[in-house]
Amino acid sequence: MVDETPIDDTKTRISEYSRRCADSFTRETRMEEPTKESEPRITTDSLSMSYGEFKALEDITVQVPRRSITAIIGPSGCGKSSLLRCFNRMNDLVEGCRVTGEVKLDGEDIYAPGYDVIQLRRTVGMVFQRPNPFPKTVYDNVAYGPRLSGVKDKERLNRVVEESLKKAALWEEVKGKLKGSAMNLSGGQQQRLCIARVLAVEPEVILLDEPCSALDPVATQRVEDLLAELKERYTMVIVTHNMQQAARVSDFTAFVMIENQGEPGKVVEFGDTNHMFTNPVDERTERYITGRFG
Amino acid sequence: MKGSNGAGGRERVIRFALFAMASISIFSVLLILLFIFKESLPAIRSQGFTLLTTNWSPNVSDPSAGSYGMLAFLNGTILTTLGGMALGAPLGVGTAVFIIQIAPERIEGILRRGIEMLAGIPSVIIGWFGLTLLVPYIARVTGTSGYGILAASIVLAVMVLPTVVVLSMEALKSLPHELEEASLAMGATRWQTIRHALLPAARRGILVAVILGMGRAIGETMAVQMVVGNARQLAFSLTERTSTLTSRIITDMGESTGVFRSALFAQGLVLLLLVMLLILGVKLVSRDKKVK
Amino acid sequence: MKPKTADRIATIVFWLLGGITVGVLLFIILQIFGRGLLTALNPKFLLGKPEAMKEGGGIFPMIISSLYLTGLTLLIALPVSLGAAIYLAEYSREGRVTGAIRFCVDSLAGLPSIVFGIFGMTLFVIYFGWGYSLIAGAFTCAILNLPTLMRSSEESIRSVPGTYREASFSLGATRWTTVRQVVLPSATPGILAGTMLTIGRILGESAAIVYTAGLFVRKAPTSPMDTAAPLASYIWYAQTEALIPDFRRVVDGGAAFLLLLVLLMNFLARRLARYYQRKKLAGGADG
Repeated sequence: MVDETPIDDTKTRISEYSRRCADSFTRETRMEEPTKESEPRITTDSLSMSYGEFKALEDITVQVPRRSITAIIGPSGCGKSSLLRCFNRMNDLVEGCRVTGEVKLDGEDIYAPGYDVIQLRRTVGMVFQRPNPFPKTVYDNVAYGPRLSGVKDKERLNRVVEESLKKAALWEEVKGKLKGSAMNLSGGQQQRLCIARVLAVEPEVILLDEPCSALDPVATQRVEDLLAELKERYTMVIVTHNMQQAARVSDFTAFVMIENQGEPGKVVEFGDTNHMFTNPVDERTERYITGRFG
Repeated sequence: MKGSNGAGGRERVIRFALFAMASISIFSVLLILLFIFKESLPAIRSQGFTLLTTNWSPNVSDPSAGSYGMLAFLNGTILTTLGGMALGAPLGVGTAVFIIQIAPERIEGILRRGIEMLAGIPSVIIGWFGLTLLVPYIARVTGTSGYGILAASIVLAVMVLPTVVVLSMEALKSLPHELEEASLAMGATRWQTIRHALLPAARRGILVAVILGMGRAIGETMAVQMVVGNARQLAFSLTERTSTLTSRIITDMGESTGVFRSALFAQGLVLLLLVMLLILGVKLVSRDKKVK
Repeated sequence: MKPKTADRIATIVFWLLGGITVGVLLFIILQIFGRGLLTALNPKFLLGKPEAMKEGGGIFPMIISSLYLTGLTLLIALPVSLGAAIYLAEYSREGRVTGAIRFCVDSLAGLPSIVFGIFGMTLFVIYFGWGYSLIAGAFTCAILNLPTLMRSSEESIRSVPGTYREASFSLGATRWTTVRQVVLPSATPGILAGTMLTIGRILGESAAIVYTAGLFVRKAPTSPMDTAAPLASYIWYAQTEALIPDFRRVVDGGAAFLLLLVLLMNFLARRLARYYQRKKLAGGADG
């Protein structure tokens, strides 16, 4: 990680970085060749989900376009997070949870028997509501994913850690304390570290479950800026309870709500964010959005 | 004004009485230290460094003529404890991980209850079990008497199991659920999550569990006395009869007098210091946690 | 090795470890009951006098000794540990003295029972001149069990919701009145659960007992100054000395009966704890 030529240090670094970015960009597009750029990345077809007797979601049909941010909004308890967790099968961890219908990633049903969940979760990364770094060093947090897949080479790990932290716009702040505990970072830094940790696994999709709900406005701003940058290269789905945030960062929005108490959550409206926020089709969406904005 | 003063006076008396009861624990510890030390003084004075040799030849009729080196028994205590921990610690931590992470939720409660049950079984019963089943079994397989360090280690492993399991479970349970989620969401397998995220995060708690288990093993008396063979010799072989500090004390205390008895107290003192050292270790380990 | 293969192997290993633990537990309990339960439930054995040299003896004085010792120990330990727990939970501020108390409680909890045994022998049996007696055993056992009782009581007291105390204080009650009228009644089931567990421990204790209360008597003790032979120490004595020809039968039966008593106490403790928890949950839902 120590560069021998200090004079042109920043310049070479920047140019090398952009080259690498370009590299990974072409690599990614190459990988995606079989599916067309215009096809959605994740599609669900009449997806329903229940916890034991309780039905949380019903008849969800949405399409998440690639290289964009899709927001899932709705009143609390409507099943937003449950829906998000269907996309990387984190719901599997909840005992008694059952999913019916289809969830497809690049046209492949992720709930098909024999589907590789481990690989799925490496392709579809997730950032949680509260920053949840491991009680390890900053470096070890980011290196966690690569090490899992067997990367032992120091050089390569160093590179991945640096790149990921840069992508997460955290490098400048932590480069001096890579060996310090991640627990000593501020909340906003911890959340960006969690994003870097996900990026180090080289995912294609990133799920964000109310990533800013535990952060102050300044830290929130930084995370939102970061999301806008990452949008160029990743497909992102963000659950948020904050209307303004959905309007600011997302390209598409799904509005989920529960009609009456005890009923499952349903998607009321799904579409272009600008359109939905200025011209909602469904009056329930309008009521919810205006109620929140007013 | 006067009334409230009266109530305040009563409060002060009650407060003092309660404080006195709380400080009984301090007095008890001091008294125990004082008495054990005082009782072992004659042996320390007359035997000196002989106490730290392997020469144990007590003289019942003329105690001061005997020699009372405890090294063989200290060796027995250390070897049986290490043996017990070598078996009990991995089994205990593994069982804790199994109960928390792997066992279906339905049987978690049953397992927990089982562990509590095991903790409640009196040590004489475990000793009796070892004496009547374990020792004959070892004797048959190895062609020896069956008594010795191996039998004692197995019995100790069973005895430390509840301590290690329960405390390790607590350490694992106190980890935030987010930790596990974060790891699994990155595509880690369950084993990778346990190995790289959960165990490292819980390592202090698990260390405390193992140290406290060790404290139990060092001090365990009856069960060990029943299977260790109680020979007054230094032993390194797994199936050779030997003694531990505790087994020697409980066996000889009844018929000893004078320096002989005092030498047994000196063994108690060594036992006490060993355990105090472990308790201090636990304090250090858990204090570090607070700072971090 | 592929991560998934490793995961599968690890899962199997953990199932094995859990299985071994459960297996050991079941094996011990089934063995002890299998060999001794028939003897243990025979009234002639339970109510019979022990023999010193010949066969056919019972364990009646030992059962009485155990119960007597347990009662006396609680009589001494319960008020003290409750007072100490109240002090720590309600009165003390965290400071140097409280820290010292806690350190000593932790130390007491960690000391081997044999150390209590030889301490009790010196102080109570010899120095106070009480001889091998129930009272000497009870004092020794009381100190031995002080930490467990104190901790469980303190925990129960601490888990009483602060709002109860505030309500009582706001009505002008003093601290002691609040403790007596509000805190202790709510904490009682928890304290009882801790007491049941302690009873189990006293019944099973032997290393601290043999040289304080005694290990063999022919008839049941009546006065606290009498020498006693609690079941656990008699079991040890009977198998060590093996003076009676049928010591196996006696020890098997005694062990089974002792285990039955201890498990019963643990069962009651768990019942109480569960009842307590349910009540607390219900209270939480109300508030």
